[in-house]
Amino acid sequence: MANHSTSHPTHVHHHFVDSDQQFDTAKLGMWVFLVNEILFFGGLFCAYIIYRAWYPELFQMAALELNTFWGAVNTVVLIGSSLTVAMAIRSAQKDQMKGLKINLLITIGLALVFMVIKGFEYAHKFELGIFPGEYYTYEGIDHPQAAIFFSIYYMLTGVHAVHVLIGIGLIYWIYLRAKKGEFSSEYYTPVEITGLYWHLVDLIWIFLFPLLYLIE
Amino acid sequence: MLTAEVKPASTGTKKTLKVKRYKPSEDPKNTYLTDEKGLWAWMTTVDHKKIGLMYLGSVTFFFLVGGILALLLRTELLTPAKTFIEADTYNQFFTLHGAIMVFFVLIPSIPAALGNFVLPMQLGAKDVAFPRLNLASFYIYVIGAIFTFIALANNGLDTGWTFYTPYSTQSSSSVIWVTIGVFILGFSSILTGTNFIATIHKLRAPGITWGKLPLNLWALYATSIIQVLATPVLAITVLLLTMERALGIGIFDPALGGDPVLFQHFFWFYSHPAVYIMAVPAFGIISEVITTFSKKHIFGYWAIALSSLAIAFIGFLVWGHHMFTSGQSAVATTVFSFLTFLVGIPTGIKVLNWVATLYKGSIEMKTPMIYVFSFLFIFSIGGFTGIMLGTLSADIHLHDTYYVVAHFHYVMMGGTLISFLAGLHYWWPKMTGKMYNEFQAKVGAALIFIGFNTTFLPQFIMGSQGMPRRYYNYIDQFTIFHQTSTIGSYILGVGFLLIAYYLAKSLKSGEKAGSNPWGSRGLEWQTTSPPDFHNFDHTPVVINGPYDYHRPMEEFQLGLANEDKDH
Amino acid sequence: MSTHNHEHHISTAGQLWAVGTTLFILTIITVVVAKFVAIPPPFDVVTAISIALIKAFLVAAFFMNLYWDVKFNAMLLIMAVIFFLLMISITLLDTMYRNDVVPSF
Repeated sequence: MANHSTSHPTHVHHHFVDSDQQFDTAKLGMWVFLVNEILFFGGLFCAYIIYRAWYPELFQMAALELNTFWGAVNTVVLIGSSLTVAMAIRSAQKDQMKGLKINLLITIGLALVFMVIKGFEYAHKFELGIFPGEYYTYEGIDHPQAAIFFSIYYMLTGVHAVHVLIGIGLIYWIYLRAKKGEFSSEYYTPVEITGLYWHLVDLIWIFLFPLLYLIE
Repeated sequence: MLTAEVKPASTGTKKTLKVKRYKPSEDPKNTYLTDEKGLWAWMTTVDHKKIGLMYLGSVTFFFLVGGILALLLRTELLTPAKTFIEADTYNQFFTLHGAIMVFFVLIPSIPAALGNFVLPMQLGAKDVAFPRLNLASFYIYVIGAIFTFIALANNGLDTGWTFYTPYSTQSSSSVIWVTIGVFILGFSSILTGTNFIATIHKLRAPGITWGKLPLNLWALYATSIIQVLATPVLAITVLLLTMERALGIGIFDPALGGDPVLFQHFFWFYSHPAVYIMAVPAFGIISEVITTFSKKHIFGYWAIALSSLAIAFIGFLVWGHHMFTSGQSAVATTVFSFLTFLVGIPTGIKVLNWVATLYKGSIEMKTPMIYVFSFLFIFSIGGFTGIMLGTLSADIHLHDTYYVVAHFHYVMMGGTLISFLAGLHYWWPKMTGKMYNEFQAKVGAALIFIGFNTTFLPQFIMGSQGMPRRYYNYIDQFTIFHQTSTIGSYILGVGFLLIAYYLAKSLKSGEKAGSNPWGSRGLEWQTTSPPDFHNFDHTPVVINGPYDYHRPMEEFQLGLANEDKDH
Repeated sequence: MSTHNHEHHISTAGQLWAVGTTLFILTIITVVVAKFVAIPPPFDVVTAISIALIKAFLVAAFFMNLYWDVKFNAMLLIMAVIFFLLMISITLLDTMYRNDVVPSF
């Protein structure tokens, strides 16, 4: 980048010198936002760790109520969607607009599968009377703090599910823009930073899965 | 043709640029205030300067509301027992005074209002990194405010601004509306912080290296880091509290087997660093003003710059000193007490460097400088009493008394608000292009100083004698202190009214300020007052540090030579 | 910190699939270990978290491109983790050393 070209492509906003500066700035901004997301979930993980340190036996009893198989399937589904997002970015970088759109659609599909499985897991728990908080009526776990484990479970997976829903919305929006032909190997910043967000959603789940499902 | 060898932030490689001097016009035709007119243009603007002014307006409005509440509280405390309002109303008033002043005034005051205005200009940038996001954070702030006002209209809030459980899970007031409001407000703060970090990293004009960054920006940078790291924890805390009230999730509620002290940990993990979200940008303003009016290079540039980061970091390790009497373990209490003392070190470094900057400077006693002296006096008292409160044995006695109230008003109001006033008076000519009446401004500064100390010094005394905070009633021996304090608050009120009066008047009939009325070397002064939409009509190139008062003014007005003027 | 980055790194499809496959395999390993291998208490958690950390590293480094990116972005991620650990460890200083687990009020 020995010399800055003086022409200003349309996607570059007026306050940036060039496309590269804009790309780096957007990516930096997204990373700073991800820092904030990590600490947002960090609060919930903190509650988890403290209660787990207080009542280890509760966490072992309660984990038996969670279905490891479906948890593992969901893990694979989310990792798969991370892979397709990475492929989508690669397609954009290589100017393969068709690949970009297909990969985005597969990602949305996988995210929906994740939500459906999550929905069935919730429905099953509601049938047993495992509701969050004071609506908890299940009697299968003999522990005074049993409801609190499931409060933490619902908060962690619920907040994560909200992030998945937001992610679906964002990826769909990127898909619409891709359909309009807004992206190219010259300009794919929104694809890249939405991808970063989606990978973070995946990262959180990578920790949620063993912490909630695999403690026996 | 002049040349300058600089490192543009966008590439990071040294190169030689052709530069020439751009002398700012003293009589600008086209400014950001005149380029687009009408309410709609303002409401949809992405110009950081207009957004800064919109924040300034909102902050002023909330300050008025919070201030009136404070005066009502002080009036109620003129006599023991009932003076003119009921105890329940009193509880609501002190809660709202605290919540409004913290969340709606102090936190956005310097970063979002003044910071938005000056940050891109001090960087020589045309705008912040994400202008639309900047506008969005303003509206998120407004939505958060609306939620809080719904709560006001609907049962009010009487938990204190700290929302401690278990009372906040039982109170009949509308806790949920306010917690949702605070949750939304948090996003505004996070997005502003994100925006500032990206801007400072990526949008510096050619030549502005980290070592030539104005100290105000170091302070805003440190503040933004705290905002990004701490605010999400507040968000999750108030979300959990909302769920606690809505679903009874029990994590914080002892009746359901939860732990209320855990709430305090979560809350103060944000709210202690939040004290530095308010205080650190104040330090930035002090550094700018003190050099401009001493006409001298800042003493210990790196010490001040890095101590901002040090305060930001240590600020995350000390939250437990709010909980010495809350039933946390003795181990944690001892560790927190020790860590609390560490904050005194970087803060002390700053104060000593500012005082050293004055040495042999040619000091000009303009209004902003008077506020700086007020700040140094008041903030030092606030800081020292903070060390006393951090001492375990002393805190057991002083906890939850008026001593604490006086301490944090010395820090928050004496530190943040007085530097906010310093900054407002300092940048007012740049924002509006108009000069306020200097004599009236000095009277205003004197009233604030006298009123402030009359209000809060007696509170130290009665606190140390055992007057608890937040009490509606008190025993007769405290009457004289309460009455002195109330009189002080009225003086403060008059002071603020005077400031509002002459600032408003300056808009109509103030003298033209000129581009650089203070003779500052800061980059924001090297353009017209008020600036145009793009801040500069050229790309500024910086070869000197922002406090190099030994260099001639021409060297601070350089810009890229081979640019066409219209964009 | 902002180095020459005109050419953005483009991973090959093979690289991405390799990372994805490794992640799938690690998921299976962690489930199998948790279900069928009896590891004594503190170490079962250590194992599960270690595998999760490896997976997280792979995602961050190769899907999120931190391996090729400017160092500052990686530093941001590390900083977030450090502050998260600070929050937990200091809070544990309280909750683990109390006389009563949940103080009576």
